Amino acid sequence: MFRLLIFVLLVAAAAQAAPVAKSVVRIEATFQEPSYKAPWASGEVSSGVGAGFIISGDRIMTNAHVVSNSRFLTVSKEGDSRPHPAKVLYIAHDCDLAVLTVDAPGFFRGTSALDFGGIPEIESTVSVYGYPIGGSRLSVTQGIVSRIDFQTYSHSGMDSHLTIQIDAAINPGNSGGPVLQRGKVVGVAFQGYSGDVAQNVGYMIPTPVAKRFLKDIADGRYDRYVDLALSYKNLFNPSARRALGLQDDDRGVLVGSVYGGGSSDGIVRPGDVLMAIDGLPISSDATIRMDKDSVPLAEVVERKFKGDTVAVDVLRGGKPLQLRVPLNGPWPFTLHSNAYDEDPRFILFAGLLFQPVDQNWMSEYQPDDLRLRYTFDFFVEDKIYKERPEIIALSGILADPVNAYANDFRHAIVDEINGRKILKLSDAADEFAKPADYYVIKMAGSGRPIVLERKAVEEARQRILSRYGVTKEQKL
Amino acid sequence: MIARCLPLLLALCLPAAAGVFSTPQPPKPPAPNKSLSVVRVNATSQAYDFVRPWAKKPPGTRRGLGTLIEGGRLLVTAELIANHTFIELEKAATAEKSSAEVECVDYECNLAILKPSDPAFLAGMKPLALDRSSRVGDRATILQLEPNGEIAQTLGTVTSISVGGYPLDNMGLLLFRLSAPMQQRDGSFTMPAVRDGKLLGLLMRYDARSQTADIISTPVIEHFLKEAAKPAYGGFARAGLAFSSTRDPQLRRYIGLKEAGGVYVTDVMKGGAAEKAGLKKADVILAVGGHPVDQDGNYQDPDWGRITFSHITNTIFHPEDTLVFQVFRDGKTLEVPVKLAARDRAKIISESSVVDRPPRYVILGGVVFLELSRAYLQEWGGEWMKQAPQRLVFLDAFQNELPEDRGKIVFISKILPTPDTLGYEDLDNLVVSKVNGKEIRSLDDVVAAAQFPVDGYQKIEVDEDPGLIFLDAASIEANREALVRKYSLPSLQRL
Repeated sequence: MFRLLIFVLLVAAAAQAAPVAKSVVRIEATFQEPSYKAPWASGEVSSGVGAGFIISGDRIMTNAHVVSNSRFLTVSKEGDSRPHPAKVLYIAHDCDLAVLTVDAPGFFRGTSALDFGGIPEIESTVSVYGYPIGGSRLSVTQGIVSRIDFQTYSHSGMDSHLTIQIDAAINPGNSGGPVLQRGKVVGVAFQGYSGDVAQNVGYMIPTPVAKRFLKDIADGRYDRYVDLALSYKNLFNPSARRALGLQDDDRGVLVGSVYGGGSSDGIVRPGDVLMAIDGLPISSDATIRMDKDSVPLAEVVERKFKGDTVAVDVLRGGKPLQLRVPLNGPWPFTLHSNAYDEDPRFILFAGLLFQPVDQNWMSEYQPDDLRLRYTFDFFVEDKIYKERPEIIALSGILADPVNAYANDFRHAIVDEINGRKILKLSDAADEFAKPADYYVIKMAGSGRPIVLERKAVEEARQRILSRYGVTKEQKL
Repeated sequence: MIARCLPLLLALCLPAAAGVFSTPQPPKPPAPNKSLSVVRVNATSQAYDFVRPWAKKPPGTRRGLGTLIEGGRLLVTAELIANHTFIELEKAATAEKSSAEVECVDYECNLAILKPSDPAFLAGMKPLALDRSSRVGDRATILQLEPNGEIAQTLGTVTSISVGGYPLDNMGLLLFRLSAPMQQRDGSFTMPAVRDGKLLGLLMRYDARSQTADIISTPVIEHFLKEAAKPAYGGFARAGLAFSSTRDPQLRRYIGLKEAGGVYVTDVMKGGAAEKAGLKKADVILAVGGHPVDQDGNYQDPDWGRITFSHITNTIFHPEDTLVFQVFRDGKTLEVPVKLAARDRAKIISESSVVDRPPRYVILGGVVFLELSRAYLQEWGGEWMKQAPQRLVFLDAFQNELPEDRGKIVFISKILPTPDTLGYEDLDNLVVSKVNGKEIRSLDDVVAAAQFPVDGYQKIEVDEDPGLIFLDAASIEANREALVRKYSLPSLQRL
């Protein structure tokens, strides 16, 4: 439903554009998308244009999706169209932000770094700067702040953060441009809907998210967002409130699931009622009051970092409890995130291509196989990761006499190889590396095993590599 | 207008045609009067709505042909009369009518026997005998009725005889496939195929693109009739196993299989005939009932050629019969007697089709509880495997992997918003594990457990978020009438 759009603003008032022009850059990126179906080969090369803006420390902020999978980046300044090679210093795919720098001496001379403001008021006017479809001159559009809420960031496809909706015209062509109010950055334009879904709806990343990113990388490393890793449900129902020992005061949400391996695992329990977070009372619609705004309770955790703790007041069995949750990464949720800047991992054995299944793999193959879809969809919810930290699937077959009878098993999940449970890709590599008369691959669910004779595998090896132009047999 | 013009045109054309051909056409033998063996069947049916289980869908009419066979029985496909509310027979030539009842129906083999309410209705009709000797390459005729009551005949050729899928219940039974260029005509639901004045079978499916018709075969009809004649209908047995081919020579060498044939058992259904007989996954079936089985699971049938051995277990033999399987296991060959059995429907966790009976449901204060069946999932249309609630699709697909005592899967299909369900409106398709602390294995369990609220609350535990749902027991009791009235519910439960 979401389509990432690159935003551009047409410069309406030259007087206003003049100072900003010193801060906005045009980014041209050359990408190479990995090829999941032929992972030994390098992927297709394409290019795109986005915007960025200069921030303190001779850095350029832009969207992660502008520079993801990039092989070569150039930036150019307004009024000076020479492209300068740039490089990515930090990239945060979970909040769609990146910081770049330019090595060319003197590039930043004459530019002015923009400062960050706060959260703009609803109905206040903002200006969006960037480079729309194919254009090389800076453009600006104006709009008002429509609402402030959590939204899914479509770059990763599964992270939600605070997002500001504006009604400025926003078109594909310049993500990463700054949104300004009274000379300060109040957001980074990053996504919108395609015209057939909604009109005059554009989204920007607000400053709490941008500032958090800059703070996270201050130690020289990006640690990602932290998460409570639990789900909760509103508590509007009067009987449910009474049954849980709550008063009719519009407070508290009910914990549904606590995800294993996540921050709250072993601390918060399903059935607990969350009453307050870091001392802020939680309403029955799962919001808190923060900076005068009503925001989802997750916003408290959103502003924290790996290693921080959060205080959670819960009601358990009618008794109040004060819990402290040390915050760590979001594993195992990353399985469902779009991944970037990663080469696909694989093993090719006897013409059979084995790969770990993740969101990228699913988008590429779009399998119909029910068992695979179940294992992927319910990986977290049904705690499948406990038995199977990685889902290894037979994703493709390079047809050869050695694998002539393996066709039924396309997109099946590898369960065992020579009696060993396959928990991750390297387990499969280990078993295939061991000398054995037969390699017996059992797939999850019912079915006969795939049997490969060593002699046949060895005979087939060079034949398959040369016939299919395979340059690499594994990447673990 | 058109009907009157047509004979005229023919009269003009024929002499001209005769003039073209040098030799006159040989006179055709008089065709047997087939209309004496078939009657038009008009079935009004009304399917149940599995999303709103208290309601029925709008009625529809299907028309087909019933075939009179020996023994004075009128044979139709089960599909024609599925979920029927009224069945009417009509003699094509005279338009004489009678209502009819279903005497016996089996959706697995897609066959039904109808009985006219007027016993004299079939008098004067001539039953068709069953053809027992068709072969691939034989010509056969499919009968259809013109709106005016005339019989339209389409000549076709038997192109294959094999075990194939029957539409209603995932059953694989013997099929004749006919290649015949048919046209859509009045009453296309059931049509007999005849050969030399004998019944070859009933058409149950026609693919207009490839011009192929799938015909319910005579052995299946015979089996059905034999079962129907018994005091208790036994149906078609299932061996209760899945197998795959052993064509792969690497697999054959690995398991030490020297014989030429055999199929690899990939799954054994819980509680099925094969499991009870001790057959196991990874066994290789070499022969069934003395017939050697090849690498693909076919045997040489004296009548039908190479067909899947399941024809022996489900059609030649009957439930309660015992059949010896020759099995290769761990390098040894064993003889395993298997006592055949039809599927025990009571033990099925999620039924693949629910026909002729209303879905069960319970509504508690606006929370709608159902038992999972594929019929519910199929309400999402042709793409239901991807469109229907995925958790339920997976439970249905992998039900053989659930514990045998799992019972039915009870789930909350939706919430009818009421003051009692405030805040729960968006919940749907949640599998229920407990009600008031009691495990739920059927809707009856829900009703029983609801008698004992905990501290005045109906406490419903579901497998997914939000985990817990509370309803005020006294309040939902007091609001019963209002709920029934507002949503026009005929009843708050049907078990």
